[in-house]
Amino acid sequence: MAIVSELLKRKWIFIGFFVGLVILTLPIPEGLTPIGMRALALVVVTFLFFMTEPVPLPGVALFIAVSEVLLGLEKPTGVAQSFMSDSVFFIMGSLMIAAAIVKQNLDKRIALAIVRLTGPRIERIVLGLISVSAVIASFIGEHTVSAMMLPVGVALIKFTSDDRKKVKNLSILIMLSIAYGAMIAAVGTPSGGARNAIMLAYWKELFGINLTYFQWVVAAYPIILLEVPIVALILYRSFSPEVKDLSPAIAALREKVKEEGRLTQQDWITIGIFFLTVLMWMTISSRIGLGITALIGVLLFMVAGVVRWEDLNNNVNWGTILVYGGAISLGLVMKQSGVADWIAKSFLIWVEPFGIHRGVPLLVAISLMTITLSSLMSSGATVGMLGPITLQIASLSGTSIIEAGFVTVISTSFVYLTSVASPSCNIVYGGGYLNRTDFLKAGWKLVLISLMLLLLISAGYWRILGL
Amino acid sequence: MAKMKFLMCTDGEEHAEAAIRFGGRLAKEMNADASVLHVRRPISSSERVQLTTTRKKLTSWDLDIPGIDYLTRAREILDEVGLTPSSKETHSRAFEGGVQGATELHLVGAGGENVRLRLREGDPVEQILEEAEVGGYDLIILGSHGRRGLAGYFVGSTALRVADLATCSVLIAKNIRRDHNFLLCTDGSDLSEQAEISGAEMARVLGAKVTILSVAEEESRRDEALQSARRAEMILAQMGIEAKVKVRVGHPSEEIAAEAKDHDIVVMGASGSSAVRKFFLGSVPLKVMEYGECPVLIVREKRGKIPLQAG
Repeated sequence: MAIVSELLKRKWIFIGFFVGLVILTLPIPEGLTPIGMRALALVVVTFLFFMTEPVPLPGVALFIAVSEVLLGLEKPTGVAQSFMSDSVFFIMGSLMIAAAIVKQNLDKRIALAIVRLTGPRIERIVLGLISVSAVIASFIGEHTVSAMMLPVGVALIKFTSDDRKKVKNLSILIMLSIAYGAMIAAVGTPSGGARNAIMLAYWKELFGINLTYFQWVVAAYPIILLEVPIVALILYRSFSPEVKDLSPAIAALREKVKEEGRLTQQDWITIGIFFLTVLMWMTISSRIGLGITALIGVLLFMVAGVVRWEDLNNNVNWGTILVYGGAISLGLVMKQSGVADWIAKSFLIWVEPFGIHRGVPLLVAISLMTITLSSLMSSGATVGMLGPITLQIASLSGTSIIEAGFVTVISTSFVYLTSVASPSCNIVYGGGYLNRTDFLKAGWKLVLISLMLLLLISAGYWRILGL
Repeated sequence: MAKMKFLMCTDGEEHAEAAIRFGGRLAKEMNADASVLHVRRPISSSERVQLTTTRKKLTSWDLDIPGIDYLTRAREILDEVGLTPSSKETHSRAFEGGVQGATELHLVGAGGENVRLRLREGDPVEQILEEAEVGGYDLIILGSHGRRGLAGYFVGSTALRVADLATCSVLIAKNIRRDHNFLLCTDGSDLSEQAEISGAEMARVLGAKVTILSVAEEESRRDEALQSARRAEMILAQMGIEAKVKVRVGHPSEEIAAEAKDHDIVVMGASGSSAVRKFFLGSVPLKVMEYGECPVLIVREKRGKIPLQAG
C-alpha cells in the first residue's frame, strides 16, 4: 500500500518519461531536425514537470541540465555556462539585495509612513497599501514585499478587531491589496522579478537586442501606475469593509513603532546602498552588466556590515536561482535546435485563417496564452518556456520583438484569479485570511481591465516610444 | 484502563468550536488526554524562505503566527468547559516548534489531563490522519457544516474522508449540542457490540439517555433485528445502563437518520482493518454522516500497535 501511494504521488514522472519516449519514436515532422526532435521531447516533458511538479522545481532544473547532455543537445560546459549567465547573476544579486533589505526592520516604518500619508480612512489606506507594495516590489521583487507587508496587514486587521468574523471583508480587502499590489508591480523594473531577467537574456542571446534597465522602466512602469488606482477601486467596490475608519488601529500601530525608536545608522546605510545600486542599474549597468552591478551592491552590503553571510544564506531562495538558470538554458536550446522556430511556424500557420497572426491581435493571443500558462505553472517557468516561442513568432510575423516580449512578461502579472499562480498571492494566502474564492470575486474584472490597459499601452504609448 | 486520548480538529469555524466544546467536556468527564489540532495551509517550497521571514516579522509585531489564533480560541473554549485552568498567558511564544511534526503548546488539565494545542501544516486530511497515527489517539472529533448538496460535498469532504480513512474511532460532530442523547445502532455483529459498549460508556459519563436501534431491511427479518437489539440491551444492562429499544424496517442509513433526527448522536461500529471491507461495511455510517443532520460516532477497534522494539 505504502509503495503504491508513493508511486502514485510520482505518477507524473512516469507519465512524463513515457510521453518523452513516445515523441522520440515518432517520425520527425517536416521542418524539424533529428536534434530538434529530441529537443522537442525535452521541452514537452519539462513543460509537464513544470506544471505538475512531481519533484520540487529546482529538481526540474537539474533534470533539464542532465537531459540536455544525455540527449546530445549541448556539451557539459555549454550547459553549465547557460545555467550561470550574467542574467542569473542578476537574479541572484537581486535576491541577495532583497534579503539584505528585509533583514532590517523597516516594515514598521513603512507601515507608519503609509498611514501618515493616508490618514485613517480605509479607502485611502487601501490605495496606500497597494501603491507602496507596488513601488517597493517593482525594485526588490514581489516575494519579499508580500512577506514584509503581510505583518503590516495582519496588524491593521488585528488592531481593528480581534474577532475575525466581524472584519471579514476588511481582512480580504487589506490582504488582497498587498497581494495584488506586489504582484502587478513585479514587472516594473528588471530587478522586480526574475522572469524579467529571463526576457532580457532572451532578447540579448536569441535576437541580439540590448535593452537597458532604464529603457525597461520607461516602457513598463506606466502600466503599473495605471493599474494601481484601478486595483484599489475595484477591490474597494468588491469587498465593502465593515469598518471605514481605522483610527484605533493606527493609534495602536503608532505605539508599536514608537518602541522601535528612530532609524538607526544601519538602516540608513542599507537604504543608501540600495539607492546607489538602483542608480548604477539605471546608468552604468549597460556597460558592465546588470548581474555584476547587482553583485557590487551585495558586496557593499557585506563590506558595510549590514548583512552577514548567514542572513543571505538563510534568506535567499537558492532553488529559485537554479530554476531560472534551467529555464534560460532550455530556452537557448529551444532556439538553437530549431524547436522554437518550428513551434512558431506551426502556430502561425494554424492561426492565420483567424487573422491573429500579427500586430495587435497576435499580442492579444500571446497575452491570453501567457495568462493561462502562468495560472498553471510559475511565472518564471512560463516566461522561460514561452519566451523563445513568442519572440520567434513575433520575429517571423514582422511584429515588434520587444513588444511581444513585454506582453509575455507583463501578462504573467495578470494572474489575479488563483492563489497559487503568483508568489505574492501564495504568501498572503498562507497568512490565513483569504479563501480561494476571494481571488475570483474581483479577479476576473481585473484580468479584463489589465488586458485592455496592456493593449492600449502597446498600441499607443509603445508606438510613441518606437519599440 | 489506560487513559483515553482525544484529537479535536479546528478550522476556526463555528461548527469546529462546537465540536471542541463537546470534546473538551467529554475529555473532562472521562479524564482523557485531549489535543486540539489546526492544520495550516501548506506553502510551496519556493516561498518557504519568505514564510520564515513573515513569521519572524509577525513575532516582532507581537502578533500570532497564522493558525495560532485558532488554537488560542480553542484554549478559551477548553477553559470555559473547565478542562484547562483559566490563565492569561496564552501567547504564541509559549508554543514550541518541532514536537512530533507540529508546533505545540502543552498544558495540564484540572484533573491531570494532558492538553495539547498543536499546529501542523499541509493537506488537512493527510495531516489529521498522520497526527492520529503518530499520537496514538483513540478518537478523532471533527466538526462539520450541516450543509448538503454541492457545497457540502466540497466543504464537508475533509470530515468524511477522515472518517473513512482513519484507523481509530471518529466523531463527526455535526450540529452537536450539549443535550444530545445517544442512539446505538446494532446489527448483532461483534463490531456493533464494541460500538455499543463505547457509546454507552460515553453516554454514562455525559449523563445522556441511550436508545438502541436495530434496523431490519425487510419486514420478514424484524424478529432477527429485535433479537440483536435485545442482546445489546442485555450487554448494557450488565454495565448498569438503562436503554430504550427500537426496531425499524427499511433502508438502514435512511432509517437511522430519520430516528436520530437532530437529537441523537448516532453510534455505529466500523472495521478498522481492511480497506476493502471498510468500503462495503462503511457505506452505512458514511451515508448517515453525509445525509443525516445528526452527529455520528464511528467506533473502530483500535488496531494492535506494531511493536517496534521486539524482545
